[in-house]
Amino acid sequence: MGSFGKAIIFSLLILGFFVYVCYYVTGLSGGSGGSGAKGVNPEAGEEIYWGEGQCSTCHSIGTSGSATRGPNQEGLAARAEERAKERGLTSGLEYLIESIVNPGEYVVDGFDNIMPKVYDAPILLDREQIMAVISYLQTLGGEADIVAINKLKDKIPEASKKKVEPWVPPIVVDASVGEQIFFDEKREVTCSKCHTVNGKGAKVGPDLTGIGAVQTPQYLIESILQPSQVIIKGFETMYLIGTDGMAYTGILQSQTDEETVLLVDEEGEMVEYVFYPEEIEQMQKQDVSIMPGNFSEMLTTYEFYGIVSYLLSLK
Amino acid sequence: MNSFKIFFSLLVILVLQGFVSQVVEAQESSELVQYRNFFGIDARLVVWIVSELHLMFAAFVLGVPMFAVTVEIIGVKSGDIRFDNLAREFTKLLSAAFATTAALGGLLSFCLYGMYPGFMRYMTDVFHPIMFVYALLFFAEAFCLYGYYYSWDILKEKGKWFHIFLGIMLNVFGTTLMFLANSWATFMMSPDGIDLETGAVTSLRAAFDNFLWMPVNLHRLIANVAFGGFVVGAYAAVKFMGSKSDDDKAHYDWMGYIGNFIGLAALIPLPFAGYYLGREIYSSSPVMGNIMMGGAFSWTFIIQAILIGMLFIGGNYYLWNGMDRIEGAERYRKYIPFINIIIFFCFAVWLTPHNLPLSGEERALIGEQYHPFSKFFGVMAAKNAVVNLLILSTFFSFLIYRRANKGEIVKFSQHGNSARIALIITAGLTILYLVWYAMGLRGVELEANIKQYISPLILCIAIQIVAIVVTILMTFANKGKAAQILLLFVTVLIAVVYLAYYGFVVMEKANMVLRFLSVTQVSVVISCLIVNAVIDVFLFKNAKEVGKIRWGKIPLRSQYALLLLCVAIVTLMGLMGFIRSGLRMNWHIYGYMQDTSPGAFTPSISYMGLATALVVVLFLALVSFVFWLAGLGEKKKSSSNA
Repeated sequence: MGSFGKAIIFSLLILGFFVYVCYYVTGLSGGSGGSGAKGVNPEAGEEIYWGEGQCSTCHSIGTSGSATRGPNQEGLAARAEERAKERGLTSGLEYLIESIVNPGEYVVDGFDNIMPKVYDAPILLDREQIMAVISYLQTLGGEADIVAINKLKDKIPEASKKKVEPWVPPIVVDASVGEQIFFDEKREVTCSKCHTVNGKGAKVGPDLTGIGAVQTPQYLIESILQPSQVIIKGFETMYLIGTDGMAYTGILQSQTDEETVLLVDEEGEMVEYVFYPEEIEQMQKQDVSIMPGNFSEMLTTYEFYGIVSYLLSLK
Repeated sequence: MNSFKIFFSLLVILVLQGFVSQVVEAQESSELVQYRNFFGIDARLVVWIVSELHLMFAAFVLGVPMFAVTVEIIGVKSGDIRFDNLAREFTKLLSAAFATTAALGGLLSFCLYGMYPGFMRYMTDVFHPIMFVYALLFFAEAFCLYGYYYSWDILKEKGKWFHIFLGIMLNVFGTTLMFLANSWATFMMSPDGIDLETGAVTSLRAAFDNFLWMPVNLHRLIANVAFGGFVVGAYAAVKFMGSKSDDDKAHYDWMGYIGNFIGLAALIPLPFAGYYLGREIYSSSPVMGNIMMGGAFSWTFIIQAILIGMLFIGGNYYLWNGMDRIEGAERYRKYIPFINIIIFFCFAVWLTPHNLPLSGEERALIGEQYHPFSKFFGVMAAKNAVVNLLILSTFFSFLIYRRANKGEIVKFSQHGNSARIALIITAGLTILYLVWYAMGLRGVELEANIKQYISPLILCIAIQIVAIVVTILMTFANKGKAAQILLLFVTVLIAVVYLAYYGFVVMEKANMVLRFLSVTQVSVVISCLIVNAVIDVFLFKNAKEVGKIRWGKIPLRSQYALLLLCVAIVTLMGLMGFIRSGLRMNWHIYGYMQDTSPGAFTPSISYMGLATALVVVLFLALVSFVFWLAGLGEKKKSSSNA
């Protein structure tokens, strides 16, 4: 082989390595194989799952992705069959359709009813895209059955036709100002002391990375002003009375047979308390969130809408 | 007759009316069209490929003249005809690539106007005066390039400096052209001079001189030189591998060495320019900055780190192989394994992400989300430290390569006053910069409890200034080698060891100070590179040679390192183009004009990998073809001579 031929092969090998790394990193970061596939097939569904559909914001699959808001979808197809039987549905496919079309109908134990309808704003998947995602979900522990999906397609609505007006705050605000306030540690109460965005911040409350893609402005406004309305699973407030008579209110960080760890807010700082079983007199879940409920007093209108705009920009 | 006139008049009116209504209809319908596809192919993909190809050819065409003219000047000053021939060979490649760049530029314009008419209509509304200037400058660049290339023989004897002047003007026009086009791209990222509600232009000057314009100009300018150097290096490598005679081997070995030297020399300051650009992106839009480093694009920087690691490792590997052809280099071989270990360590730290993608079981095993040990490598404090160490190690490789065949040196005092003045001016300017930056740090407006963390940075700069002064005095006292070691040692101590530790301190207690800390690190390292490089020039001027450089006697494997460097830099340019453009997410013009086309979504990294690989293959194929065409005349000449 001539020198030019060797140079070509060597160059192609380097490029092959580059493409391999890109695929590997995509797997690590929870992206798709990304071939631009269209139509109703698992390849297109996978792409939508990790991309436009924003499913990966809440669900990971096995070790791909790191979201914990919703159940891990590994082996979903097999579980869907069992759940279908429990719920009197005819097949696992019907359960998958129900879970997407009407996610509040059945909520998996340990999780909250927070999944949005993906055919409504802001996600707006059309019928074909939802069918593609379902075909992909079928491959997680099973096989895709496109014919069966097509037979049930009338159960899947088309994307909402109503024109989506972008949310506009009532006053002119800047999302970057909202971001500064979110991370401003000099303030009396700082969002990042409890919430993480893109790995930055503390993990006391739910991770807000990608929140703008899955929640509406109304939900975010309510969550800030009335934090106790919806409390994400795993972040409920616990009330604990020790055998010494002391009472503690905080978030349950972990609980084993040997010890119970509670995160308690002490003048704005989250302090970890460890209790051994013999030290606990009583412990019960509260309906009130540990998140302060007086943000309307602590933030100006400008700051408040700045934070909402910033959260909505996290897509 | 009258009825005929009336009939004819009516006919004319009808035809005109029909024509006018068609024109109006066409105008109305054209106003409605915002996006088109290219015969069913996604418009975004087509524009992506064509713009990357145009950018790569443009980088070559802009980067190569800079060092072609420099090499020509060295040739005139040294009287060595080899430099003149090399500059000419560079220009031959340039002239062949120039027409392809222009053709790709035209194709890109048609693609944009055809497939994104709504967006381009607005861009034309804003920038049309500059677009005319751009077109006129293109004439000037073309005339200078052809004048420079075709007048080589005519101006060889009597008009050499006029010939060099033509080359300088070629650079001036080419760089100005790039700056003009950059303003359009950066306007899309950080729009200025327009009303963000209505789009009305309020200031063309502000739109042109937008927030990211100068950072991108600086970054591209340096990157183009590195790009041109490594592409030329690969050209020389292919020619070397196919050479039959010793003379050809010697020539192309030397050409490859020059290409690698230029590429690496430009690569060293490139991370600094990249850091400046990244910082300005954050300043321009914290949301965009967050998307870049903590959001959808954060993983692409791991791939970037791999490619930059390839460049540093490849460049160093080539230098070490090059020492095989230098008699006397064996004295320095003992350092190479240590440099190797340092470079791989730096590379590993750079690659380590802060937030490891762990499964639930792995997380439970570790007990927290971050790895107890590697989590320290994933943050900026550690990454800044290893980047600076990587650069200093590569610089050290350069130093030992330069002195590989040098023996006894001439005392510095014997170089006369010109050497002293040159060194004083270099050190003076460097110190002036450091003082200016330290004064700036003192004046930074921060709250008192945060500002206290600035003082150690000012102290570090003060120590570096003292070290530079001592270095210069030692050099004057004929202790140049020791002086270089001292400055390198102090720099490593400050920029790598102390500031890495201090980086963790400020990250915990005063995060805002981190950005000043990084610039302090960069400033200290750059001051060391500049002062030590100038000392080195004089230190080994007229030094005795303990052996010869046997050009052409380099191991064949080194040529693959040159190929690696070329493929890596082309791929890196493709990747960075994707990141820079993709940061706008679903905006044509960030914050003003939304991209509502089907291609508005951010593609996955794997899709980006495939698209970039396709672009690189197309570029390398095209550039090989163009170089082959450029060599046809030469073959004909040599066969007729035979």
